[in-house]
Amino acid sequence: MSFLKPSHFVVSAGYTDDGAVAYLRADGSWSGNLADAAAWPTEAEAEDKVAQAKKQERLVCDPYLFGVRVDGGVVDPMTAREAIRAKGPTTPIRRPDR
Amino acid sequence: MYRYDNYDQQIVDERVAQFRGHVARRLEGKITEEEFKPMRLQNGLYMQLHAYMLRVAIPYGLLSTKQLRMLAHIARKYDKGYGHWSTRQNLQYNWPKLQEVPDLLADLASVEMHAIQTSGNCIRNVTADHLAGAARDEIEDPRPVAEIIRQWSTFHPEFAFLPRKFKIAVTGAPDCDRAAVRFHDIGVRIVKNALGENGFEILAGGGLGRTPIVAPVIRDFLPREHLLSYLEAILRVYNLEGRRDNPYKARIKILVGALGRDKFAELVEAEWQQIKDGGLKLTQQEIDRVSKFFEPPVWEKLPDSDAKVEAAKLSSNRDFARWVSNNVIKHKAPGYSIAMISVKEKGRPPGDMSDTQMDVVADLADKFSMGELVVTHTQNLVFQHVKTTDLFALWEQLVKLDLATANAGLLTDIICCPGLDFCALANARSIPVAMAIRDRFDDIDYLSDLGELSVKISGCINACGHHHVGNIGILGIDKQGVEHYQISLGGSPGNDASVGKILGRAFPQEKIVDAIDTLLKAYLTLRTSDDERFLDTYRRVGEQPFKDAVYGDH
Repeated sequence: MSFLKPSHFVVSAGYTDDGAVAYLRADGSWSGNLADAAAWPTEAEAEDKVAQAKKQERLVCDPYLFGVRVDGGVVDPMTAREAIRAKGPTTPIRRPDR
Repeated sequence: MYRYDNYDQQIVDERVAQFRGHVARRLEGKITEEEFKPMRLQNGLYMQLHAYMLRVAIPYGLLSTKQLRMLAHIARKYDKGYGHWSTRQNLQYNWPKLQEVPDLLADLASVEMHAIQTSGNCIRNVTADHLAGAARDEIEDPRPVAEIIRQWSTFHPEFAFLPRKFKIAVTGAPDCDRAAVRFHDIGVRIVKNALGENGFEILAGGGLGRTPIVAPVIRDFLPREHLLSYLEAILRVYNLEGRRDNPYKARIKILVGALGRDKFAELVEAEWQQIKDGGLKLTQQEIDRVSKFFEPPVWEKLPDSDAKVEAAKLSSNRDFARWVSNNVIKHKAPGYSIAMISVKEKGRPPGDMSDTQMDVVADLADKFSMGELVVTHTQNLVFQHVKTTDLFALWEQLVKLDLATANAGLLTDIICCPGLDFCALANARSIPVAMAIRDRFDDIDYLSDLGELSVKISGCINACGHHHVGNIGILGIDKQGVEHYQISLGGSPGNDASVGKILGRAFPQEKIVDAIDTLLKAYLTLRTSDDERFLDTYRRVGEQPFKDAVYGDH
């Protein structure tokens, strides 16, 4: 989280069933885990994937891309928003099991 | 309280069935998200950062215990065991699954509740003074008026697609505005004219958000029978003249500002003259019909208990004494008191309440408050009709539920939006800041010494946490992806309405609580007596001493 420019781009969306965070894998499937996300080196490539993701509307809603830094294979979101989306709320949840 | 008639129940049930069809088609892939989105929003269903969020309407905040038990059941069955009292007297569930939402709505409908018009560019849930019906200072219970407005605005075909959302608030206490009517699209104040007749002072064009404005009065006195026709005239002018090209310029406050109060009032007057004696004219029969639902409960004939309340404030049980001092309000009926139940327990987000707490609170409301309670826009609950002699027994039960925090109206009674932990619009988290303030300032003696002082926190400029009207307002902003917090001072939502002024540059999260601490210490130094509130001190000395304290020479 800084003035650094993103090194890569990740495509994300919300699962239609429950609104949970979804990340696009390299094989075109979706994962709830940022570590599984494919990181594309150019914005244009990621935009192309967003366009493809928009055709999977039954599965996911409102796909978009965001910039990340990739260091040693670890994908690091560059904003508080994406960090919180990746890890979940930072506040106490009454019954996190469900 | 108002009870659905067959017509009300039918339209709500039919709406559930209709939405069940929408959801099925969405899950079958027969309609796109773009097609589905307006339909889910019209039913109060948002898509937030981690999940869907359903906002349940609680008209003017009034709940029966049967309804509260259903809200607990829904939290348990369809959510993660809790709900969140919102800053507009509603309840939000943060984790519903799309497939289950129709069943959830059907459960709501079974207790005469719904989520209709809790989103979208329509007339939203009508709010009112949370002490309505019990307040000693009201000249009239505003809830019948709020209910009449609710019925008029529900499914109003002409106002289903306004330029932007539209919020109306009502108060019946002319000398003490607890409903923030001056910061609503329309504020309705019940007032008396020179003849002693009750009618309405109408304000229009107030609001928070990125352009905070105190609403001007556009009509000093409106006779009762003309309420709906006048509101209809305001909405018509707004619907026709309001901007639709830019969502940030689309609220009625922008229109009133652009036209000027006088011109806007003139347009409303011209429209109103055409419709004032038409079908919207309220008959006394209709006013009486609705008012019957809000007749005062049968209070026992009890001796005046003001002296008892004052004595309780000096109780040897200091915790109880503090609670009575801060959370108990004098009732209009002799022998009764109003109890404010603080939903600001330590270690929990402001306004969050578990299913178990809801169930037990419902039991307590049955036992101590005639089976009803009220949600406040300050994210607390009110037991309106508690016998003063029952206060100690109620307090003992609330202690067991962690709901006896004696901080109503004090620093830690914080209004706080969900912020970036949940909200798709937010720029920064607000709940962790509220919890950090709550943790830092945990000494009730210190809080009481500080006296009346409101802190309101929003995670973005949309201002759901009402930061503009906090004595201390905190606004979360995004600086290059990092959360920062801007402080404003001097806001007030009441009769002395004012918009807070930004103090200076924003602080990173790790420094915001220290900055608040510095402000408080400055206030204690600056105030002329223990009775001078933070807001009074700020208005007397201005921002500079506080600025000097927080920023020093930098």
